[in-house]
Amino acid sequence: MTRLEKKAWGNLGGIILCAIIAGPGIWWMISNNIKGPVVLIPFLASGLVGGLISYLRNLKSWAELDEREQKIAAKANALSRCISILFLYCASFIVFFVAGANNSVPAYLLPTLFISGILLASFVQSAMLLIQFAKERSDGDK
Amino acid sequence: METNELKNNIRRLRFEKSEMTQQQLADLAGVTRQTIIAMEQGKYAPSLPLAFRIARAFGVPLDSVFQYEPVHPSQ
Repeated sequence: MTRLEKKAWGNLGGIILCAIIAGPGIWWMISNNIKGPVVLIPFLASGLVGGLISYLRNLKSWAELDEREQKIAAKANALSRCISILFLYCASFIVFFVAGANNSVPAYLLPTLFISGILLASFVQSAMLLIQFAKERSDGDK
Repeated sequence: METNELKNNIRRLRFEKSEMTQQQLADLAGVTRQTIIAMEQGKYAPSLPLAFRIARAFGVPLDSVFQYEPVHPSQ
């Protein structure tokens, strides 16, 4: 397993952990129509965990990757960028047409969309890395 | 337009060079062992600087390691 593959598994684990931490909190807030500063808690918790994992995972720089790994990483980054832009684009319009009909949206919706976009981008990036390595391995077995 | 394919003799040269391991070559060329494996299997075409580093590691000219040959449709 290469360093990049290990990093991708680590990131995937981190994203799932962040989603597990923030998901129930956000769901609870939405279902109970919670208002006030308490709405920030799930975002702060997932941000702290995500930031800490990201810091620890990136202690070794991406610059240590060799040229083949950099090409693999570039493909994964490009796809994750496209997916996150598409997600934010679609999400903005969904908010506009569904929740924005009364000219107001809940305050937690914007950070939820933003964090969801980041999580989705990181998830796609890690998954794309792992798929490329798995494909390379299966090609080698033929 | 004629289609060409990059072939290499890395595996043969490693064995001729007192059975150099993939890891030893990777260290000399400054890449990972997985990159050497991918090149030997013909799945990865290296950049020109990396190709020169590999040729230098074997102490041979570049065209002794890599060949850019036409692909025939029947192949």
